[in-house]
Amino acid sequence: MDVPALEVSGVSKDFGRIIALRSVTFAVQSGEFVSVLGRNGAGKTTLLNVISGISRPSDGSVKLFGTDPNDRVNKAQLAVISHEMFLYGNLTALENLEYYSRIYNVPDAKNRIDTVLQDVELKHRRFDLVATYSRGMTQRLTIARALLHEPKLLLLDEPFTGLDQHAIGMLITLLKKQKEMGRTILLTTHDLHTAAILSDRYLVISKHKIVRDGWMKNSSPDEIRAAFFSAEAGENDS
Amino acid sequence: MMQTAIAILKKDLRMEFRSKESILAMWIFSLLIFVIFNFTFEVSRLVMLEIAPGLLWVAFVFSGMFGLNQSFSLEKENGNLRAMALMPVDGGQIYVGKFLSVTIIMLMFEALIFPIFIIFYDLQLSLGMFKLVPVLLAGTIGFTSLGTILSAVAVHTRNQQILLSLLLWPLVSPIIIWSVTLTGMILSNQVTEAFYPLLLRVGAFDVIFFTLSYMLFDFVLED
Amino acid sequence: MRSKIDKIILIVLLLAFLASVYLIFQWVPPIKASNPAEQIAQRIFYFHVPSAWLGFLAFFVVFIGSIAYLATRDRKYELITVASAEIGVLFITLVLITGPIWAKPVWGIWWTWDVRLTSSLILWLIYVAFLMLRRYLPDGSKRANLSAVVGIIGFIDVPIVYYSIRWWETQHPKAVMASSEGSLAAPMFFTFMFSLATFTLLYVYLIRKRYQLLTLEDSLNKQFKEMEIL
Repeated sequence: MDVPALEVSGVSKDFGRIIALRSVTFAVQSGEFVSVLGRNGAGKTTLLNVISGISRPSDGSVKLFGTDPNDRVNKAQLAVISHEMFLYGNLTALENLEYYSRIYNVPDAKNRIDTVLQDVELKHRRFDLVATYSRGMTQRLTIARALLHEPKLLLLDEPFTGLDQHAIGMLITLLKKQKEMGRTILLTTHDLHTAAILSDRYLVISKHKIVRDGWMKNSSPDEIRAAFFSAEAGENDS
Repeated sequence: MMQTAIAILKKDLRMEFRSKESILAMWIFSLLIFVIFNFTFEVSRLVMLEIAPGLLWVAFVFSGMFGLNQSFSLEKENGNLRAMALMPVDGGQIYVGKFLSVTIIMLMFEALIFPIFIIFYDLQLSLGMFKLVPVLLAGTIGFTSLGTILSAVAVHTRNQQILLSLLLWPLVSPIIIWSVTLTGMILSNQVTEAFYPLLLRVGAFDVIFFTLSYMLFDFVLED
Repeated sequence: MRSKIDKIILIVLLLAFLASVYLIFQWVPPIKASNPAEQIAQRIFYFHVPSAWLGFLAFFVVFIGSIAYLATRDRKYELITVASAEIGVLFITLVLITGPIWAKPVWGIWWTWDVRLTSSLILWLIYVAFLMLRRYLPDGSKRANLSAVVGIIGFIDVPIVYYSIRWWETQHPKAVMASSEGSLAAPMFFTFMFSLATFTLLYVYLIRKRYQLLTLEDSLNKQFKEMEIL
């Protein structure tokens, strides 16, 4: 069997008075699309930070493609999309993408930038400063920026929050395409609907722990909803 | 290997030339310092000459804070600091890029304010003033090498500006003390044999501060 | 066990302080000084210098603790670092207070920009900034990382500051500053060493207590959080 794209074993993030994760364990095979469901504050963002190597787990270990997430090779294969843009308003779209292509050492950058700009329908605005973009356009450019270096592993932290309808549709199309290309995708969301459309598998995270790990095709929507809401209800009891 | 540092430098300089935010703010602010000093200390020309080197560095250091604050504010704005933490490079590379851009912007500002300083304080231009070039270079590098990493630290707080001053000024005081002394020697035309050893010393501490910051920058980026 | 050790330290500490007060104010002969005020003021030296020593020791612990933290990411070292920085600032504050109290009758002025005074003040500013930084950051590993970085840079800067001010000072002729300590006489030396040992023990006691308090806060907070969750 292949090395899993992502292997999280016994990961806890517990620092001082903060508890964010408690012995979280799961593995994701290459090409899988996994949704991490849970309400805000359940530990989803911390989980993604630990996976991307920004944050160190206080216990347990994370392996990307069999090695440490902080290995340069791994960092080069990773992309994160969150509510943060990772773009400079005072640069044009083209300049932003050129900057990132230099840092990620993108081969044949010119063509690649062209392709991603076309994918998000922003080619006609590439010479405009990002600061002049509408919110939806900025978000589309964020997606282009993330896909620029053809990452093998995509981490999406609530990417649909605040997106307009057009951008949501575009992101879903692009994610489906990425999945067809065999990319591994991990998506955190509290939106069951999009999770059900896109993913093969789901994890429900609650009280900093994984409380359910199942396949979309084996679970009815009601079942997933029930798992999700029972976890939420448990949290609300206090 | 230096590819990332250069990419960051180019990006920063491009943005600075586009908005001219930092240089302009620093320049005007220095002008203000000169004016205010003139009002608050009504002194004779002779005394003025004595305090001029200190005044010059006060202007540099106070204005330099603008550049330092600005440099990491724009990284924090759209989460770019996190993007930096995700980059497949050593944190030191990112440090070098930011350090270079801050230093170059500050040196350009210094070059622009120096003529005004000469005019305001009626200093005699002479060939000996070329000795100021290495002094300004060494002093500025000392200031920005520590300033860059501390700005990256302070940017995570709400009171970024104040905190950067609180952290940076005491730590960078040795560099400033020596730079003022060296500048004073040049402006008063009294370059003694102590000049070069002292300049060398500033250079040596620049190297210490730079190396230290280079090594520690990874920890600043990490969450 | 822990509290037993603390109790023993506390008792020893009380006795040692009583003894040092006796040594300083009764036993040790006054210095030979023309100015009678100076004879009295000089005794502050037995508090002033040990306080300074303690400040340096505390900041050295901050430095080592910061390195240990970055190497292990263990919360323990972060807490030791904070505890030590707080104690260090406290004792350098005492240095900055006792110094002028001595200087006024002896030098005739409260303050002068001499090497030791200036570098103590800058030292104090560095670590106050360190504590301020921590106040402005939310608790978490980010804060621990950032303060460890500042803890390391700060300590490495200390000798550089001292060095630079000494250099700057010799450039400026000093009107005041005639050091009264030459070589210490035997009873003075003994009293001084005794006071130094007492202060060091005080540091050990304070850091233990502060550290215990910080861990207690942590576990209490965690328990509250647990109750909220469960």
